[in-house]
Amino acid sequence: MSRAPYARPVLAGLTALALAAPGAAAAQWSAQSEDRSWGLDVSLILEGVYYNELSHGIDEPAGFDDGHDHGHGHDHGHDHGFDDGFNLGHSELVFQANLGDLFDGVLMLGFDDSDIEVEEAYLTTRALPGGFQIKAGKFLSDIGYINSRHGHDWDFVDRPLVNEYIFGDHGLQETGVQATWVAPTEAYTQLGVELLQGETSGIANYEGSQSALNGQERILRDRSGPRLVTAFAKFGPDLGPDHAAQFGVSGGYARSYQVTDEHSTRFEDWDGSAWFAGLDAVYKYSAGRAYGHGDWRLQGEYFYREIDVDRRDVNFEADGNGPVGFVRNEQSFKNKQDGIYVQGVYGFAPRWEAGLRAEALGLTNDVGRGDGDSFGTSYRHSAQVTFRPVEPVFLRAQLSQNDFIDDDGHRDRGLEFMLQLNVALGAHGAHRF
Amino acid sequence: MFFRKTRTRSTRWLISIAALTLTALVLAPAQAAAGLNVVATTSSLGALAREIGGDQAEVRVLAPPDRDAHYLDARPSFMAALRRADMLLELGAGLEEGWLPAAQRGASNRAINSGQPGHFRAADMIELRRSITMDGPNMGHVHEEGNPHFNADPRRMAELALALGQRMGELRPDHADSFMERAERTADRLRTHAETLAEQVVPEQRIVVYHEDLDYLEEWLPVEIVGYLEPAPGIPPTARHLRSLVDDLEGTEGTVLYAEFQPPRGAEFLERNLGWPSHAVPLDPPADSSLDGYLDLMTTWAQTLPQR
Repeated sequence: MSRAPYARPVLAGLTALALAAPGAAAAQWSAQSEDRSWGLDVSLILEGVYYNELSHGIDEPAGFDDGHDHGHGHDHGHDHGFDDGFNLGHSELVFQANLGDLFDGVLMLGFDDSDIEVEEAYLTTRALPGGFQIKAGKFLSDIGYINSRHGHDWDFVDRPLVNEYIFGDHGLQETGVQATWVAPTEAYTQLGVELLQGETSGIANYEGSQSALNGQERILRDRSGPRLVTAFAKFGPDLGPDHAAQFGVSGGYARSYQVTDEHSTRFEDWDGSAWFAGLDAVYKYSAGRAYGHGDWRLQGEYFYREIDVDRRDVNFEADGNGPVGFVRNEQSFKNKQDGIYVQGVYGFAPRWEAGLRAEALGLTNDVGRGDGDSFGTSYRHSAQVTFRPVEPVFLRAQLSQNDFIDDDGHRDRGLEFMLQLNVALGAHGAHRF
Repeated sequence: MFFRKTRTRSTRWLISIAALTLTALVLAPAQAAAGLNVVATTSSLGALAREIGGDQAEVRVLAPPDRDAHYLDARPSFMAALRRADMLLELGAGLEEGWLPAAQRGASNRAINSGQPGHFRAADMIELRRSITMDGPNMGHVHEEGNPHFNADPRRMAELALALGQRMGELRPDHADSFMERAERTADRLRTHAETLAEQVVPEQRIVVYHEDLDYLEEWLPVEIVGYLEPAPGIPPTARHLRSLVDDLEGTEGTVLYAEFQPPRGAEFLERNLGWPSHAVPLDPPADSSLDGYLDLMTTWAQTLPQR
């Protein structure tokens, strides 16, 4: 609650700045051509995935079953939600338009065979002075590297474990405002802050007030947004024509992290806060040959998350412990967890790429609930081969071996095979680095 | 407990935002005072800007000249260069569409936004040849406005030089006269050199090229394009396509030209089966060239053909 008096003026200030500045720089100049006044670009990205589980391992990595998947209603046993056999993967319809050079607008609808979701809908200012830019709406946060990229731009079929389990099934996807600043320096330097509503399951899960049971209040309360603030910095030195790299550091603080879990006779409520911090790096080598032959891409990210909550359980049904409204399991605890992935992709022939990815989740895996537990680390290893017959099409085969540990310390291996066909139709926007 | 933590954190954010604003305001005027900071996507455009700008312009070229300017990454170093630029020169017509819009967006610099005087889109200044991608099947590599590889035509480059000289003058009115004077001299030299080179080539040359990136040679040299090594733009040569080229051209004479970054196999196949000489040529001059670099490149192109 105490955040609001600060957050509001900041938001208002940023918005005012965004709206006022283009007007102030009113030296409008009419372009000689480019009469694309509306300039609406539409693109359709279609994806199909054939999935085959060759051997079944452990479904969920130890220590990460809470806060993940809550309220998402995923009824699949697998974390990425593929069924054995054919799947309409993750397809997207993208609309992009601009208002002169003042704003860019993006609407990105993601759909599979049963749901349509607004993945991103935002405006970006293009005319602020001094290297500033403001983005407002629903968008994928720019923390880390892969978080803000859509599946079509990934080098592997599925999302890295660290992104999925530290943030959520869609990464850190939030509604809010982002302000960035690019420094006028020789080496690329971007700083950014985001004020976000705070709804992402892994870092800012939100439940709101729950009704009292038999006169016994629950600890969960409504808390107005924005509940999550993040910050990031990206740095990219100039390494000449063959090499390019970008390094990033990011972090965030959620002033509200709430979980409620329904057990047989009681609700388990958590209320508290969470924070995360991470590092990311990407390096690209361009061999200068046609069709990506000889090119390298290396990429890695590390994220650490700490959840600090109070727990309090309330009976909704009388049981051996007490009547409806009976309170127990009152404790305060912290969960400290992290994850990392490193991947490399090499263009071994014109239009052909092969890649390897190694992932670890829960190198630190301390969960304070109950008597507290320190779980083991889960791993996943993936290999892929990608063929791009023409520019907007790729066909990718991926083999993933997950080596997860469960809450009891048992380790088991599962093997999955995925075949992905991805086609981009229509105006195909430029790719970011 | 965590309420108090929040308070100090948000205060810190406010302070850092204020600090950033101040830094930016301090730095911004220093930028504007210097000479014209020009960023060009390709070295052909860079050469024109360098020649016209003289000491009054600092020119940075983004695309390495030995790379295919269709397929580049929107590198952080590009965004850093564009952030500080007063002017962006691009060929346009879709050539740089895979990476430049992302780099422009990432640069957060209004001066070089599309529609601003600091954004010079060469394709808007001249008439383009039709692109074969406009007629073929849509394979995802379509240049709707026309063929964007007009840097291979010195006459169109001469037109561009004049338009560029004028635009640079609008951005730096103090130097408008000298920019225009240099632009006219540049245009003259381009046209004269083109004429000289064309006269030296044996007339009625037939050439096969890899992609439509050398089509504009037809506009100033006595050559006719009789085939492409690619079956469709963006798709590497197939054995079937190369055999059909050989069948069509059997018994005739000509030359095969391709860019240095394109795979040589198709050209070598034609050389073996038709006896046509093949040449790998640069498409752009070295990155730091001024006009002389581009004139040398024209000579290189012309001299791959039989000379009188």
